[in-house]
Amino acid sequence: MAPEASLSHLHRADGSATYIHNGYCIIGAVNGPIEVMRRDEMPEEATIEVNVRPAAGVGSPKERHLETLLHSTLRSIILTRNIPRTLVQITLQVRSLPEEDGTSGVNTSLTLLPHLLNTALLALLSASIPLRTILTSLLIALPTPTPKMKQPVPILSPTSTELFRTQPIASLHVFAFSADRKLLLSESEGTFKYAEWEEAYEMAEEVCCRDQGGVGLGGGEGMEVDGEEASANLEEWLRGVVRRKVEVEQRWRSAT
Amino acid sequence: MPREAEISVNEREFILKALQESVRLDGRALDAFRPLELTFGDEYGVADVKLGRTRVIARISCEVTAPLPERKFDGIFQIITEFSPMASPAFEVGRPTDAEIILSRILEKAIRRSNALDTESLCIIAGSKCFALRADVHIVDHDGGLIDASCIAVMAALQHFRRPDVLVEGEKATILSVREREPIPLSILHQPLCVTFSYFEDGERFLVDANMAEEQVRQAEVIITMNRHGEVCQIAKYGGATVDPLALLNCNTIALQKVKELSKFIQQKLEEDVKKKDKGGLMAELSAENAR
Repeated sequence: MAPEASLSHLHRADGSATYIHNGYCIIGAVNGPIEVMRRDEMPEEATIEVNVRPAAGVGSPKERHLETLLHSTLRSIILTRNIPRTLVQITLQVRSLPEEDGTSGVNTSLTLLPHLLNTALLALLSASIPLRTILTSLLIALPTPTPKMKQPVPILSPTSTELFRTQPIASLHVFAFSADRKLLLSESEGTFKYAEWEEAYEMAEEVCCRDQGGVGLGGGEGMEVDGEEASANLEEWLRGVVRRKVEVEQRWRSAT
Repeated sequence: MPREAEISVNEREFILKALQESVRLDGRALDAFRPLELTFGDEYGVADVKLGRTRVIARISCEVTAPLPERKFDGIFQIITEFSPMASPAFEVGRPTDAEIILSRILEKAIRRSNALDTESLCIIAGSKCFALRADVHIVDHDGGLIDASCIAVMAALQHFRRPDVLVEGEKATILSVREREPIPLSILHQPLCVTFSYFEDGERFLVDANMAEEQVRQAEVIITMNRHGEVCQIAKYGGATVDPLALLNCNTIALQKVKELSKFIQQKLEEDVKKKDKGGLMAELSAENAR
């Protein structure tokens, strides 16, 4: 099922996005480029600040860990050198988690990470922060091989119910890809072989990135895809969300 | 961290001049609230309040802990308000602003100390186990009237929340999960709601539910908390302007009228939500609630 997203719905933040997928609902806001505190100021590039706020309670080491991962990934796609001595402030508020999240018995920081990354990117786009490329992120779960099924089928962006039912999970992988199919982030957990990881990597790349052939033929604008395909491919989905938003914003122009 | 952008001199003059002629910039009457929206999530205990452009989300969560040694028969109830840069870049994580401290103090006085929630009902085994309830208030969008909106959000979320049922056998308590038994609502003793009055012209003129710009030019504010029966829970006054004691009585009557409207609105929304959740009409049979 494709995620739902809405852009620029908050009034005070420079850019904002709400992202709903598989029972996760995250509100992201970006302020930037704004004045940076003296001690964080860097002479040649922008400072990036990521705040992850859990649904209940105050931030714990888990949120700090997620913030570090997000910070390093987003730093690689934001053109920080174009806006030196400024601050880009990214706030991600987890609004709701799926009900089974606590009981599915898997590391919840990994299941949350791809959603946070996608929300952060949408909010950055909404705030018009200069970006090098876009990114799409995905979670893949590999079930433990059973005597019945020697070669378990990896589950792409599993819902928490799926995770709960397919116990035990052997490993979880989070991948983030840039638009030019470069791997930006790979976080894994559990026991797995290199071949398994590679299989998961290829599957994730397939879902995250657009078909390269289509891009070559269509002259870089492969927009004429039907709805079904767009929902399966994350990059198509992302472009669709932004395109719809731009269309709405440009109504005044196209109406005349 | 940038400071909150101060309102310009011209804008300040404009708002004040308009107020002298009893006109508000958004065309509301002086004692009118902005349009209020209240939505509940799929899960229990999440209320999303939109008051004009202000948006507040309150979330109630609970866990089992040991009660405080000096209060063995009481459960624990905490309200946590933390501003995030999402609402305004002037808010910094881990460094509370004055507005944040005032908000948490008022909510504490209005809801916790007025005993809106019966904490004794949260006790499982005296002295060893109780429910610890926490209300997290997330400010998502800030356009003034945070206290009123937060109070509405917390009270609505408390009434929407259901805690898991417990089975006590002697010294042993079993928490029954949602799958095993239908969770039960909290026992709410009364519903306090806040109404903020902003004073202008040295206490001569007041507004209800000021927005961000009006909050920045006001001279004083009076926050009155009461329930729909007209019982005042707290009155707080901040700012320099002097307010006539008799004017406070007038404020009380207005507050009562507003609180009645708001409680009715919350009640109506809660009933709608119950109807939405009660698809097959089986809720009455599933309920494990004991009559008080």
